[in-house]
Amino acid sequence: MARRACRFTLFVLPLALSACSVYRLPEQVAVPVEEAEPAATSSAPSAPATSADTSPPPGPDSTHSEAYRPLLAQADSAAARGDYEQALALLERALRLDTDNAEIYLAMAEVHCARGALNQCRAVAERGLLYCRGASQCEALRSLSTASG
Amino acid sequence: MARTRRPLLKLIITAAVAGLIIVIYLDARISTTFAGRMWELPAKVYARPLELYAGVSLGADDLAYELRALGYREVSNPRAPGQVSRSGDRFSLYTRGFDFPDGRESARLINLRMRQGRVSALQSGGRDLDLMRLDPLRIGGIYPSHGEDRILVRLADVPETLRGALLAVEDQHFYSHWGFSLTGIARAFYSNLRSGQVVAGGSTITQQLVKNYYLTPDRTILRKVTELVMAVLLELRFSKDEILESYFNEVYLGQDGPRAVHGFALAARHYFDTPLDQLGLHQQALLVGMIKGPSLYNPRRNPERARERRNLVLRLMVSEGVISDAHAQVARNMPLGLNAGRSIQDSFPAYLDLVRRQLRREYREEDLSSQGLSIFTSFDPLLQRHAEASTRTVLEQLDTSGELQTASVIMRVDTGEVAALVGGRNPRFAGFNRALDARRPAGSLLKPAVYLAALEQPGRYSLASSLSDTPLTVDGPAGQVWEPRNFDRQPHGEVLLHKALSQSYNLASARLGLELGLDTVVDTLRRLGIEGPVPEVPALTLGAGEYSPMDMAMLYQTIASGGYRTPLRSIRDIVDANGEPLNRYPLEYDRQVSLQATHLLHYALRAVVREGTGRGVYRYLPSDFHVAGKTGTTNDGRDSWFAGFSGDLLAVSWIGRDDNGGTGLTGASGALKLWAHFMARASERPLAYRMPDGMATRWIDDRSGYLTGEGCPDARMLPFTNGSEPAQRTNCSPRRSGIKDWFESLFK
Repeated sequence: MARRACRFTLFVLPLALSACSVYRLPEQVAVPVEEAEPAATSSAPSAPATSADTSPPPGPDSTHSEAYRPLLAQADSAAARGDYEQALALLERALRLDTDNAEIYLAMAEVHCARGALNQCRAVAERGLLYCRGASQCEALRSLSTASG
Repeated sequence: MARTRRPLLKLIITAAVAGLIIVIYLDARISTTFAGRMWELPAKVYARPLELYAGVSLGADDLAYELRALGYREVSNPRAPGQVSRSGDRFSLYTRGFDFPDGRESARLINLRMRQGRVSALQSGGRDLDLMRLDPLRIGGIYPSHGEDRILVRLADVPETLRGALLAVEDQHFYSHWGFSLTGIARAFYSNLRSGQVVAGGSTITQQLVKNYYLTPDRTILRKVTELVMAVLLELRFSKDEILESYFNEVYLGQDGPRAVHGFALAARHYFDTPLDQLGLHQQALLVGMIKGPSLYNPRRNPERARERRNLVLRLMVSEGVISDAHAQVARNMPLGLNAGRSIQDSFPAYLDLVRRQLRREYREEDLSSQGLSIFTSFDPLLQRHAEASTRTVLEQLDTSGELQTASVIMRVDTGEVAALVGGRNPRFAGFNRALDARRPAGSLLKPAVYLAALEQPGRYSLASSLSDTPLTVDGPAGQVWEPRNFDRQPHGEVLLHKALSQSYNLASARLGLELGLDTVVDTLRRLGIEGPVPEVPALTLGAGEYSPMDMAMLYQTIASGGYRTPLRSIRDIVDANGEPLNRYPLEYDRQVSLQATHLLHYALRAVVREGTGRGVYRYLPSDFHVAGKTGTTNDGRDSWFAGFSGDLLAVSWIGRDDNGGTGLTGASGALKLWAHFMARASERPLAYRMPDGMATRWIDDRSGYLTGEGCPDARMLPFTNGSEPAQRTNCSPRRSGIKDWFESLFK
């Protein structure tokens, strides 16, 4: 019982801390209950938010904008019609606007995977893991970072 | 009789045949070259476009600088593309729009409010605008040897009044003659006589075009006859409109340094920063007047003469019925309407040099100077401006004699793109590009490669490993003995690994490198991105070899990005003359070093600036602005280096002398100041702290390297790769402590 409580605390603490992070997007403010589930799986020991819980508090300079969002949407539709080059160009532009946004890394890794560039897919996902927020996003990046053909 | 007539006949026949052959030859030349004439269009090199959105970090002065460089004109009420009005922190600008490789940005009127170094509101047509970009600054071109540059225009896009003005002045009977005009010549003669000055030349537009295309400027009878014949042939082969369109694009209208301004469209940009279709009558008349003598009637050098000529053109336009007298009256009262004239083109020779080198590896020189390619680069004029200002300020403080030289490379950490480049103390001088070509020993700037090679073996080394900073000698091949010394000439005994790097101890570093093996150090340097020769000698551990600032930037970029090597990137996209993408240089990551080992190295490089040889950076930067870096000094202070990075930028600075003499500077007293001066003004994001998976922090006794408790004597928190923690432990038990070092404060 004590052990379960301990595991629960270990998992919830980083999530709670990450909720204060500047890097999180408004859409992700609440940590959905279902995202707690991966904690029960084997991936729990490497708590997904380890990188998040040590992030410094917001400096005066780090305000984040939603400006990249339309680019993400355009990249989605480019990828959907199979224009991966265009999708990647748009995502790169998005990344230049917001260089530590895991959502963009995730989208970019997915495009690389879709076009069969597994090395790039893994590398981009691995890099995105450094910036991920929330269990589901971290899990998605983690699984792409070990993607195999 | 027969005797005398035959030779004459022969002569006539021979002459006729020869003439016919010449005509056939000239005709062939015209039909093969004119119709398919590929305009030689130099490649245009563009800076990154400035992205605008609410929240973007951008100073009002930086925006004003970018707009000035782009040639936006200050007006009280912007009504046309390329105009801006500013009132304090509010900008109202009519953007020009641009066809980017990934989509079009349309011209529109936008309103910007700036607050505290940010864009606080961005609106267009009364609605908030998510995101937009300005047209990119053209920073140069790749010109053919004759230097011709032009922007092509279709006849349909030439304003009617400009066309009318040209015909009124240069060739009133263009649409009715056969290439040459006897009456035209007579009329020109008469009109010149009447006005008492030469206002119109006798050559038709067709003749002028033939002359410019095919012939030398000599004034000989033979040339004149050839010109006449070719003009007639041209008229037979091509329509009047085709000939006129060619003329609009061909005509020479002035010089801009090495660049020859050809065609009306480029001239409109060059003199007025205005697209051709938006020129005022007064500007159209000025350009038409300049055809007669682009140098003589240069409106910058000879404004009064140019004005008289312009007004004369306006009068001719009235007499030929192109415009009404009332319109001409208004235009005559207008000023010349020139732009500020300080073209920023070709002002950044070091960066253009980098772009050219990359292009030449993949494209033929003649294609670059003739195919009209558009090259989109990652050059950032605002960062370049900061880098140049810091270079000027710091070098003036360090050296009043002007003998010291310098170079800096500025890259974006996340994408590995080169954003700015300073190739020497005079950044406008297109000579020796020190950022790429000054090859010097790197000194301690190379040490991180040695420590990284160690930290990649977590079973053997951690930040708390103990190293011996004690004298050593290594026997060389020819009886030489290598005997390194510390900067302070003192050995420091047993020191922890993190301290040996942050204090830049030579003896400990040399011992560590030799312990790892020189081949391991070389391998690490290669993986970090050093491509040139690396001497496999013991002194390599202390930076022996020859490396350019760009080499060092590549190496530190791999470290800064967390162990991913990205190829050198200065070009993002290349687009052909029709706007079709030719080549894109995508962002690529190549994992070369483990994330955990790089993270440990980051700790030591942060320690350099917090407590080691790089402490001086915090005389420039706010104390809560985290950065990482390394100083480098070579023998006798010949080279002063500093390399480091923040959350967004990586910069490498070098100061030295071209004759390789001593500077009297260390890395800390020279290049560090330049680096920190620049970072304090240009970097927007401090280095964030994110510990990768598979790592944890531990309390360590900073003297023994043993595990200890928080609050114990000499206790220090260090990051470790899981499993690499020290085995021994002090017998001190944890206690509360109020004092935190820079590293602990990351966890507050």
